[in-house]
Amino acid sequence: MATNTNLPPNWVEYSDPTTNQPYYVNTLTNQTQWEVPTAQSNQKARRQLANQQAQAYYSGGGGAAVQQPSQDTQPAQLFTPGGGDIQQQQQPMTQLNQQFSQFGVSQQHPQLSNQRPSANSTNLIGLHPNPNELENDPPAINLPPNATLSQSPTANAHPSFKRSTLNVIPTTQSLINKLKIPLALVLTPYRSIETGEDPIPVISDTVISRCRRCRTYINPYVTFLEGGTRWKCCICNLSNEVPQMFDWDPHTNQPADRFKRAELNNSVVEFVAPSEYMVRPPQPPVYAFLIDVSYTSIQSGMVATVARTILETLDRIPNDDGRTKICLIAVNHALHFFNLPPNSSDPNMLVVGDLDDPFLPTPNDLLVNLAECRAGIDNLLTNLSDMFINSSGPESAMGTALKAAVQLTSPFGGKIMVMTAQLPNVGQGALKNREDIKILGTSKESSLLQPQGGGFYKNLAIDCSRSQISVDMFLFGSPYQDVATLQCLPKYTSGATYFYPGFNASRIEDALKLAHELSVVLSSPIALEAVMRVRATRGVRMSEYHGNFFVRSTDLLAMPTVPIDQSYCAEITLEENLNVPFVVFQTAVLHTTCYGERRIRVITLSLPTSANPSEIYASADEKAIVTLLANKAVERSQSSKLEDARDAIMNKVVDIFGQYKAIMTAGGGASAQLMISDNLKHLPLLLLGLLKNVGIRQSSHIPSDLRAYAQTLLTTLPTQSLIPYLYPTLYSLHNMPIEAGTLSEDGLRLPPKLNLTIEKFERHGLYLIEDGQQIFLWIGRDAVPQLVVDVFNLPSLQDLRPGKITLPLLDNPMSEKVNGIVNKVRESRRGPYKPHVYLVKEDGDPSLRSWALSLLIEDRFEMGLSYTQWLSTLRDKINSGSYN
Amino acid sequence: MLGEAWLYLFSVLAAAGLLFTMVFFIIMFSDLECDYINPIDLCNKLNKFILPEVGFHGFLTTLFLLSGQWLSLVINAPLLLFNANKVYHNNYFYDATEIFRTLSSHKKQSFIKLGFYLICFFFYLYKLIVALIKDE
Repeated sequence: MATNTNLPPNWVEYSDPTTNQPYYVNTLTNQTQWEVPTAQSNQKARRQLANQQAQAYYSGGGGAAVQQPSQDTQPAQLFTPGGGDIQQQQQPMTQLNQQFSQFGVSQQHPQLSNQRPSANSTNLIGLHPNPNELENDPPAINLPPNATLSQSPTANAHPSFKRSTLNVIPTTQSLINKLKIPLALVLTPYRSIETGEDPIPVISDTVISRCRRCRTYINPYVTFLEGGTRWKCCICNLSNEVPQMFDWDPHTNQPADRFKRAELNNSVVEFVAPSEYMVRPPQPPVYAFLIDVSYTSIQSGMVATVARTILETLDRIPNDDGRTKICLIAVNHALHFFNLPPNSSDPNMLVVGDLDDPFLPTPNDLLVNLAECRAGIDNLLTNLSDMFINSSGPESAMGTALKAAVQLTSPFGGKIMVMTAQLPNVGQGALKNREDIKILGTSKESSLLQPQGGGFYKNLAIDCSRSQISVDMFLFGSPYQDVATLQCLPKYTSGATYFYPGFNASRIEDALKLAHELSVVLSSPIALEAVMRVRATRGVRMSEYHGNFFVRSTDLLAMPTVPIDQSYCAEITLEENLNVPFVVFQTAVLHTTCYGERRIRVITLSLPTSANPSEIYASADEKAIVTLLANKAVERSQSSKLEDARDAIMNKVVDIFGQYKAIMTAGGGASAQLMISDNLKHLPLLLLGLLKNVGIRQSSHIPSDLRAYAQTLLTTLPTQSLIPYLYPTLYSLHNMPIEAGTLSEDGLRLPPKLNLTIEKFERHGLYLIEDGQQIFLWIGRDAVPQLVVDVFNLPSLQDLRPGKITLPLLDNPMSEKVNGIVNKVRESRRGPYKPHVYLVKEDGDPSLRSWALSLLIEDRFEMGLSYTQWLSTLRDKINSGSYN
Repeated sequence: MLGEAWLYLFSVLAAAGLLFTMVFFIIMFSDLECDYINPIDLCNKLNKFILPEVGFHGFLTTLFLLSGQWLSLVINAPLLLFNANKVYHNNYFYDATEIFRTLSSHKKQSFIKLGFYLICFFFYLYKLIVALIKDE
């Protein structure tokens, strides 16, 4: 223990056993902090204490005093990356909970809000971020007891379905404005269900109890009144009748226990909807393929690969009841329709050359039943590439073809899949090659990210949305495909964009990637004709939505089909002050499954409220905040400039930290530290990753197609995939622990993640960098020949060729491990993506090397700051700002 | 001077017409907020009126310029420039995909225009009367 004579009364200086940094303890209030206390902070600390800890302190005596310092030393122990850390990181939370349970607070005084953890300040300067902690769960939701009538652990939504940026909702809008942390929900209503996970419970007895006034679905947060004959809505407090059949089991025809009903025990449920919920009978799934057969597409092998993949996936396209319909249009300078009469294996090609006023050459047998016309479809797909082998010329009338496809599918709705390697350059919606290297990296660059073509694609998207059609874009073009304009269609019709720059099917890796992704997209079950609505407790309003959909009315999002694993954000404003202990957010997605059933997926999330900034800070979910900010940054960069988007991120993080300093620490004047609540300590790291992402980064070398595609990923990836996309994972393979790469009960063990900095790299090492879209295998210049032999089956380092590779599976432990890790990495991300493996040599191809280095976001890259520089920039900005 | 009286008579009618257009816009916007109309129909409906409104106002301002009504010209010039700027940058149409995000600013704009046309209406009326009195 050291003594500092300048300390105010009651403060004692201690030294942290692991880092030897001094920290300070107030013997009176048991408050601990890293910065030197002043007389002023002493007073402030006392005020804070009164708010947060009085209850715990007075009821528990000195108990808290002893434990507090040990909590603060926790982060220091996490510096060394290692497998066992994951449990350790949870400790501050569990410790705190234990601490309170020791005092018996939660049992004896269940109404006290003190049982929620308060913010633990951490100084980021000098603290190395631990990438393994990025997988931690968001702060726990501590609802008041008796909030729910269910004891089920699934009564509140899992963060992968729905998460909030703040897990404690501030009671007033002015408090939200003061804290500067944006309040929003991140929704992933249709996330993929992993193997081993429980399926979503389906309520098939069509007893759907909803509030008469606000139309909320009955959920675990309602209360039963009058002996269970009525229920009180948790959103608008209206008392509603319980339906007669609510306590009846229609299968056994016997009374049932209502408290066992799935909708009262699960936050995520699906109701089978009766005919009142249908505008028209459930439509069959419809897939229209628009395949570009211009010279470039044929030559790159795209057409052949796509046709073969579709052919092989035909059996897996959702078609359980044999109603699925298919049509195929081949496009070059004209539209080629295929007439496929049932029970005939000879497709009949009909060519339409009029591009200004496209018409359907025959009224029937263009959009055909998959099962009935299977022979013809098989034949067509087998021969498609050969039919157009002599196709010459670079024309593609894709705009016109889209119009025709909309006309063809509009009676049903469904999905249009566009595969093109050519800029649509004739007919309607023709686009110009507007790529201009001179304006890349300048303030005019954002004009390349906005759609061109006089609104043709936007208007078409609106027409599609009206007819319940969604569009998926598979783009292959090089050098210029105008992703920015073409992605308009998926954006407003809730489709998805996939981009394969420089695709060439003669490279086996390219063909495999396309085949994998296309077949996953095709075979995944889709939800049709969906509308989504988010309801929330009175006084809470969804003010803005971000993501791929069309806003049909103030609170109704239209999604012609709901793709799997796409994420949406809803920003929240408070219209009145909240005086309820908890708020409920309910998302309802009314949709038709691809098996012809109308269903409603309901996701209920309940969050406590508080006016205490400390509790609110402690509940902030950094990953949800980053997801929202990524969406907003992309929108900003399209509506104004890329610089503005970057500045907005910078200002936001400065505001958050500045306000934290003013509210939660002694504040006052310049400080050598950068304090933030422990649960937000990765926020600067992730936002630095966002600033250095291809979609946002300051650079004059990023083609606008790549930028636009990265931006579509930033706005659609679910949080679970977005975080590695912003902060890639780095594994060291040459010296991984002995158990890494071997199988355990939870699947393959991965090596510990390393910090993304070149400092970690050894010259003889083999590293894996992965962001969910690409995998880089980095091999050092002094790699031992045995490593090269073991992993790549080549005699020496000189024989290795940098670029896309297929990793050979060899009969040695190292190769098995590396293959296992690569496969595990590919599987572990949600979404259909199959990342390429690129081999990067430290002394090899400079462009590839610099691409891999651009993922090391803790280092300086081009104009991007290193993590330490970024933190000190933030600190200086906060010190020069007026945050007191 | 009969020409001035005729000019202002026309202006009064024109201002009244523009006034009603703005009232119509505002009613449509509140209909959208109450979910009586969907954004696609709204935009299709309103977009038909935007260019006529801008054109009519421009025509009126040109008349003031030609007839040397400098005060009226100065009053109308800011709005003319604002409209011209919008038309020049090609962002004068309402966009159904963005309408909910920009609704508040559209409403504010319509209200300001409404007020402007109202003031103009009375100003032209006053000028009309002045011109008629001068005639006699």
